[in-house]
Amino acid sequence: MTRRKGMFRQVLERPLGVVVLSVLGLFYLIALFADFLSPYETSDQDLQKTYHPPTAVFWDDGGLQVQRYELADPEVMGYAKIEGEGAPIQFFARGFEYRLLGLIPMDRHLFQVEAPDRIFLLGSDETGRDNFSRLLFGSRISLSIGLVGISIIMVFGFMIGGFAGYFGGFFDSVTMRFIELVMAIPGLYLLLVLRSTFPEHLSPAQTFFLIVLILSFLAWGGTARIIRGMTLSLRNRQFVLAAEVLGQSSWKIIWKHILPNVFSYLIVAASLSIPGFILGEAALSFLGLGIQEPSASWGLMLSQAQDMKVFMLNFWWLLIPAAAIFVTVIAFNVLGDVLRDIVDPKQKFLNR
Amino acid sequence: MRDIRFSKVFRIGFAGLAVFFCACGSEIESEGREEHPLPEGVDVVERPPGVAGDIFTGTSAGTPATFNPLVAEDATSSDAIQRLLSGLTRFDPVKDEVVPSLAESWEISEDGRSFTFHLRRGVRWSDGEPFTADDVIFTFDAIYDERYPNRMQMEFSVGGEPFEVEKIDDYTVRITTAEIYAPFLLYIGTAILPKHKLYEAYENGTLLRAWTISTASRTPREIVGTGPFRIRSFRPAQRMIYEPNPHYWRADQEGRRLPYVDFFIERFVQDQNATMVAFASGQSDHQAITPDQVAWIRRNAELHDYTVSDRGPSTSTSFIWFNQNPGSNENGTPFVEPHKLKWFTDQRFRQAISYGIDRQGLIDGVIFGRGEPLWSSISPANRQWHNPDVKQYPYDPERARELLEAAGFERRADGNLYDAEGNRVTFSIITNEDNRLRANMATVFMENMKDLGIEVRLRLLDFSNFVNRIMESFNYEAGLLGFTGGRDPHGGMSIYSSGGRLHVWHPNQPEPATDWEARIDELMQMQLRTLDEDERREYFNEVQRIMSEQMPLIYLITPNIYEGLRNRWNNIDPPNMGSLIWNLDEIWAEKRLLR
Repeated sequence: MTRRKGMFRQVLERPLGVVVLSVLGLFYLIALFADFLSPYETSDQDLQKTYHPPTAVFWDDGGLQVQRYELADPEVMGYAKIEGEGAPIQFFARGFEYRLLGLIPMDRHLFQVEAPDRIFLLGSDETGRDNFSRLLFGSRISLSIGLVGISIIMVFGFMIGGFAGYFGGFFDSVTMRFIELVMAIPGLYLLLVLRSTFPEHLSPAQTFFLIVLILSFLAWGGTARIIRGMTLSLRNRQFVLAAEVLGQSSWKIIWKHILPNVFSYLIVAASLSIPGFILGEAALSFLGLGIQEPSASWGLMLSQAQDMKVFMLNFWWLLIPAAAIFVTVIAFNVLGDVLRDIVDPKQKFLNR
Repeated sequence: MRDIRFSKVFRIGFAGLAVFFCACGSEIESEGREEHPLPEGVDVVERPPGVAGDIFTGTSAGTPATFNPLVAEDATSSDAIQRLLSGLTRFDPVKDEVVPSLAESWEISEDGRSFTFHLRRGVRWSDGEPFTADDVIFTFDAIYDERYPNRMQMEFSVGGEPFEVEKIDDYTVRITTAEIYAPFLLYIGTAILPKHKLYEAYENGTLLRAWTISTASRTPREIVGTGPFRIRSFRPAQRMIYEPNPHYWRADQEGRRLPYVDFFIERFVQDQNATMVAFASGQSDHQAITPDQVAWIRRNAELHDYTVSDRGPSTSTSFIWFNQNPGSNENGTPFVEPHKLKWFTDQRFRQAISYGIDRQGLIDGVIFGRGEPLWSSISPANRQWHNPDVKQYPYDPERARELLEAAGFERRADGNLYDAEGNRVTFSIITNEDNRLRANMATVFMENMKDLGIEVRLRLLDFSNFVNRIMESFNYEAGLLGFTGGRDPHGGMSIYSSGGRLHVWHPNQPEPATDWEARIDELMQMQLRTLDEDERREYFNEVQRIMSEQMPLIYLITPNIYEGLRNRWNNIDPPNMGSLIWNLDEIWAEKRLLR
């Protein structure tokens, strides 16, 4: 326990650590409060305002106003500002109903604009849905998929790797051969095959969990192997042998003596494998096999922006999910590197 | 000093290279065509004569899967085969009628069942062998042969009876149908196969394995035809080069054999996006363009000297329908829950749904205003058969609510709709995931239904899974699909007839389940047995009217089609329906100048 606290403090001692932790903290807070922060639901359409550019906001009449636009050129969905016209932004106003943190029923939102005006902080997509709201709701899937995934990997990786390393013998060879089998198959193809075995009528939440399971199934092998290796060397160390002589149960030895010694590795491995999950979900959704309409995820939003007209007509705001994925993945990788530096100071990856 | 001299040498060298490159780019050398005398029965085209030469390039998102007309089922393969082989008749989309092709003329017997075709004399296959009535007989033998199942067996039979094909002499063939078969001339223009090349394969039972893509890539000259082109070389997934067939049977008024172009090159690219980019960057001469891409492609029109023209509404349809199949699966579970089946079979429910769909919003928002709402089973593109006087359902949620109320539905305080028995109105809709426009139509539909208090869940399936659900397992509630429209509405036989496979809302019925379905069956039989076009149109108008009132298929929108073409091509004669370059053999280009 003390060790973990120490680790957290050590991260905070490094400037890079502070930066990535605050970025990630902010992202997760946003995901947690997505329904409060977003003005619209993910499925909320406005067919009069498709491909709307991000709306400007200005100060007038003693309050923040959202700029009004008119469709100047329907040929290319070109919108022009109506000078001087705006709609007041209402803070903490009523909007669609939701449950805050899944518990408290609410219909207040951070900001709202009275219909028929709309506020599109990050523009709108091909059916006039608010890109900002979709990005926030999408972050729930894209960010949590990593956390759920690594928890599964860590538990399985530690249990199986730990048992295999500690007990050795038949159990060891069976599990290790199985892991090799899984690792020998190219990941993306295995992913596609597993995805195609899904039953057809699944709710978005079920699809989500099955995708996490698939991604974890592909990734636990590596962790388990390394844990096994570490356990193999640990089990011949004196403190383990001493515990055995004193008659402690195997379970207790693994839990009390081996786990604390591989824990730092687990933490580093976890933070480094989260980006894999985020990218995996994005890749699946991009191929149309992940999260489906009308739910939102960053990968799905990107796959919808994969169209020449987005580039040629400069609907640049539809590419924002890519920036979000980029920042998140970089942040997790940097966090992983910082943690590795703390755990293993001999191997320096970052110049400080 | 030495440096200066060096740079001079370089400069001269570069200039030389530049001249060399320009020479290459400006004049494309043809190797000189084989010269053969024109056949006795040559077809002289009416359009003004042009200049031979130049290359026509196109890009395609799909590669032909076969060059065997008995096997081909996809559009890319059929298009390729059409360039290589001719039929007895062909359809001229500008004249809007069936015109002679390999058959120079024909006579129809008094009873309208027997057609005598007089073949063009002196026509040769692209390898120089003569074309005769034996080839026609061989083609029909192959089509009807039980060893070679193919889709034409169905098309070339009426009332289950195949056509009777007999050879009168070397240049005369008579085809007799068991009963009157109205669209006969349109359908009979199937590709005629060369007996001298394929007889051996036909005899030893391997005909369906002949003329594959590996034949085309290894021995392209083995694929002989009577079409305007023959294959020069073919590389699957890369490109295909066609060259003029030196024995083609059409010529211009100056006696020059068609086609004019030296080569027709088709590049195969990854996807639709890539075809549009290739055209917009001047790498191809012709491209079909989807409505949402028109605006940016038009921007390059001047730079690459092309025009993007609006070709009006597309012939394809899109619709939502409810599963009205009352049957159950082998476990005894009904395909559709009984209380839902009751909604779906209620005409007022379907009409209300139709009033509740914002088609114009979908057109304005998603396809940039480039489309039309669709009210009839035949798209307005098909002017000959489209019935404009059908019942229309403009967006009117108020009207939809009234109809639902009249049908016993009730909107409760929670905003949701309930039926008379207190069931909440909710259903799921399935469609295929790879079609973006369809997914958009589905999400707009969901939002529109939410306004009526109906909860719709969307499931996007891959295409084969989707087809299996709607055609085999019938385990779904509502679907969203489209049909490509043919020219003659007879092609929709299996959609309209209650016993048809594509009668999607309740297919393969032994007996029509409702009076209106019975009436449509009757009309579809009546249109088949008359050759009088006006009479047939009346029958079809009634079919369309019944469909629009009953709304078994709730039609959505039809996007406009756009086509881009480089301006240098002449003899372009835009038809009302179909591609701009339907007469590829007649088009020619001005000599290209150095730019």
